[in-house]
Amino acid sequence: MSRSLLRSLFELRAPSTSRPAAQFKLPARSLSTTPLRRNSPTTTESTTAAAQNATAPSSIPTNPTEAASLVTESRSQTPQAAEALYPRIPQQVNPPTSESQATIAQLLPLLRTQPAHYLTAHIWGRPYLVTAGDQIRLPFKMPGVVPGDVLRLDRASTLGSRDFTLKGSPYVDERLFECRATVLGTETEPMRIKIKTKRRQRRNKQVRSKHHFTILRISEVNINGPEAVGL
Amino acid sequence: MTIRALEKISVGQNGIGSFILQCKRLDIHYCDHSGSSRGMNAFIKTHLSKFAQKNPAIEFAVSPRPRKHPVMIGHYINGRQKSICVANMEPSQILKKAELLRDASGDKVKRVNKPVTSINESVRGIWSPYHGNGMAV
Repeated sequence: MSRSLLRSLFELRAPSTSRPAAQFKLPARSLSTTPLRRNSPTTTESTTAAAQNATAPSSIPTNPTEAASLVTESRSQTPQAAEALYPRIPQQVNPPTSESQATIAQLLPLLRTQPAHYLTAHIWGRPYLVTAGDQIRLPFKMPGVVPGDVLRLDRASTLGSRDFTLKGSPYVDERLFECRATVLGTETEPMRIKIKTKRRQRRNKQVRSKHHFTILRISEVNINGPEAVGL
Repeated sequence: MTIRALEKISVGQNGIGSFILQCKRLDIHYCDHSGSSRGMNAFIKTHLSKFAQKNPAIEFAVSPRPRKHPVMIGHYINGRQKSICVANMEPSQILKKAELLRDASGDKVKRVNKPVTSINESVRGIWSPYHGNGMAV
């Protein structure tokens, strides 16, 4: 612990507090792809040093209807339609334990001071470990978005820097971070041709498929201090 | 004294800071007489002005191409182009094709297996067996 604390103090090259904010922030509209049916997730976080977190967060639901997240502001052409598609579902936060409160208050400032951050953002139930500037190729075509839209990803299971990781169970409190993604467009893949055969039949059938994928660029990853959750 | 190139500090990536639509021009070709252009002619009359208003970043060029099938050609910033023959299609189908050309990046389509592509360094570094406290076996 003391080693990582020391290193974090040495690595004060680019403290995130002094980083310039995004040039223009669009007014926040509340949208989310989280459907209404949700089990109440327990959202107690625990900050651990990187050396200690050998256990993966085990309680992340794999059902996409429960673990979806996303989308806030955008300059979509039809904001009303987008809002109907992605109604904003507030995160259900169980009160954190006193232990996790203490670790957040003590270690989250150290996590913030380390220069580079990553987070595991969940989009429609799938985790994507991203840093600012990464490109995500979603395994589906997201309906109701056009190139240039800005989505706010509000479900993350981990936030981290070099030595510190904040794990949520299953999700980190959405007030602790801001992650925005720009929709770059839709890409596709070469046509897949699967040849179907049946025994003792002379005919072969070709099944063709071609999928479309939405491309996102992570434009912003900010981690807020413990004061964001009132600690 | 040799002349040294300036070191590149950052790499421009679309969508960080500003977003630029990759499709810069959409050529729309039609024919007045042939039946395969019937849907395209209806698309030009009904849908095209609205679609062009919604996409001010794209230059739309409509031109006749007699005795040939109707075609839409998207031109992209990277210099490539993508063309779709829209013969015998309904106007709503043609609108979908126009949206496809608008959303495309212009790159050659290829299979990608990894969902995240990054040019950043690994945040947590690379594991080394020679550093740290070691592990008791």
